[in-house]
Amino acid sequence: MSSPALHAEGLSKRYGRRVALSDCTLAIPSGRVVGLVGPNGAGKTTLLQIAVGMLPPTAGRIEVLGGQPGSGAAQLARVGFVAQDTPTYAGLTIADHLRFGAHTNPGWDQRLADERIATLGLDPSQKAGKLSGGQRAQLGLTLAIAKRPDLLILDEPVASLDPLARREFLRSLMTYVAEHGASVILSSHLVSDLERVCDHLVVLVASRVRVAGEVDDLLSSHHRLTGARRDPADLPACVEVIEDSHTDRQSTLIVRSTAPIDDPSLTVEQITLEDLVLAYMSQAATAPGRTAVLEHR
Amino acid sequence: MIWFTWRQFRTQTWVIVGALAVLGVLLAVTGRQIVDAYAAANVAACHGDCDAAIANFLSEVRTGAGGRVFDLANAVMYVVPALVGIFWGAPLIARELETGTHRLAWNQSVTRTRWLATKLAVVGAVTAATTGLLSWAVTSWAHHIDHATGDRIRPLIYGARGVVPIGYALFALALGVTLGMLIRRTLPAMAATLAVYVVAVAAMPEWIRAHLLPARHATPPLDVSRLHEIAIRPAGRITIIGDDPGSAGNAWVLSNQTITPTGHLFTGPANPQFCGPDHGPRSCMDWVATLGLRQDVTYQPANHFWPLQWAETGIFVVVAVLLACFCFRWTRRHLT
Repeated sequence: MSSPALHAEGLSKRYGRRVALSDCTLAIPSGRVVGLVGPNGAGKTTLLQIAVGMLPPTAGRIEVLGGQPGSGAAQLARVGFVAQDTPTYAGLTIADHLRFGAHTNPGWDQRLADERIATLGLDPSQKAGKLSGGQRAQLGLTLAIAKRPDLLILDEPVASLDPLARREFLRSLMTYVAEHGASVILSSHLVSDLERVCDHLVVLVASRVRVAGEVDDLLSSHHRLTGARRDPADLPACVEVIEDSHTDRQSTLIVRSTAPIDDPSLTVEQITLEDLVLAYMSQAATAPGRTAVLEHR
Repeated sequence: MIWFTWRQFRTQTWVIVGALAVLGVLLAVTGRQIVDAYAAANVAACHGDCDAAIANFLSEVRTGAGGRVFDLANAVMYVVPALVGIFWGAPLIARELETGTHRLAWNQSVTRTRWLATKLAVVGAVTAATTGLLSWAVTSWAHHIDHATGDRIRPLIYGARGVVPIGYALFALALGVTLGMLIRRTLPAMAATLAVYVVAVAAMPEWIRAHLLPARHATPPLDVSRLHEIAIRPAGRITIIGDDPGSAGNAWVLSNQTITPTGHLFTGPANPQFCGPDHGPRSCMDWVATLGLRQDVTYQPANHFWPLQWAETGIFVVVAVLLACFCFRWTRRHLT
């Protein structure tokens, strides 16, 4: 577990003239549950597909668990992937899917798979095509975790699930992580899905990484400042304004600052993870050329 | 991976195997009748002029169920490779791409090269075995008929006998897989596979098969009593084509022209003294017989049947292998 879960440098992917991922540099330590957040079309799926070896990057370097994504059976065995909308073979039964996993994965844990299917109350002889979206997602997760990967990558696993199925799915995931200590990267366009489970966050907007870091560090370094209307440029140099909004009399700023802010004219408040992500998203929307300096640790 | 490929593929396999079993029963039932008719007409024992015995045998077969089974079996031999391409080849990859299940399959601990190799190997082996068995059954069932008609080297029968059906089927399979991979949609890939297969198999005899072995060439004297066609046009232009010469045996005649003693194509002019509306055909024929015309025939003789079969099968198998190599390359580099 010594090598980072994911290490990317200058990673880019373009489809013809369309840029899906642009100059992405990231270091995700292992043993974390990482949330990859961004609006639809931000490049989350592209980044994750590059990480599992489904897509080759156009430029840049990427290492996953110290190896090249998709470079061979050994690398594939170490990374579990649940693709967007959890594709399954509609004509095959749950038992067929598990048997497929058992035949194709050297580290396959049949007991874990059987137990999970039993816990979920699923009938192994049922065809995958007859399962609900939530059940299909659970089957996909079962396949991915029963191969006992060191890193589990999930692309929008809960996007199409109802709130109950969403909670059940994340609970299953966290139970597995707690018991087996794998690293997890999961993406969503809603930070509220991930808030309760992640300890590391990457915000990807318009094909660029806007901010990345441990959730605790992010929360302690970002603040909401309120005070009399003022020009954001007046703030000290160590304070970076992420988002500013003004009324006639009052300014509200969301800033990043590692040093404490001791300006008596400003009220300093904690912000939630959701506010933080939204601030970065709207920053990207208003000033697409500006990129936040990455959180280096 | 082998088990899984079989699991995905077994329903289609049983459908085709079931249909072929029905055909097998038909062949078994009618096969006996053909053997009996062959013995009754005394074809094997005849010496010298066998035409009467052969005609008896063939008319016996045609009036019975055997005639219909014969046509059916020939049609099946051309249809089965197309079905293989359409129902086994085209969906093999296209279906996975269409439903996104390749994302599931490629994230098990199996490289996509092995994934594709297993699929191609399993389906390819079943294809070769089924079409091989089918062709063997039809070829041996039709053995006596083919012997009597001497037709087996001619295009329609040739493609339904021996080993070429295996080549056609492997080619159709690889074609279906490739088109499915490129088009990424099952139904359009099926249609495209059928279209290309039909063109390839239809273009094969004239364009390629005829040139696989050097054709024989003969210039026998034109026998006026055995003419295939004679036509006199208003300006005195005359076209004469003789029957396939007996010296070529049961050959596949590629071209047949009538030439003058100096070696030029004979086109007339017809002598109005003998040929024309005022004279009977007899006098014109007699006049033609005095010209010393010869036939100019190129043909593939009957004993080229097996060499041509192996060469043509080889070509289709090589094309299938090249398509498979392309599929591997495409899967590794471009498929997502």
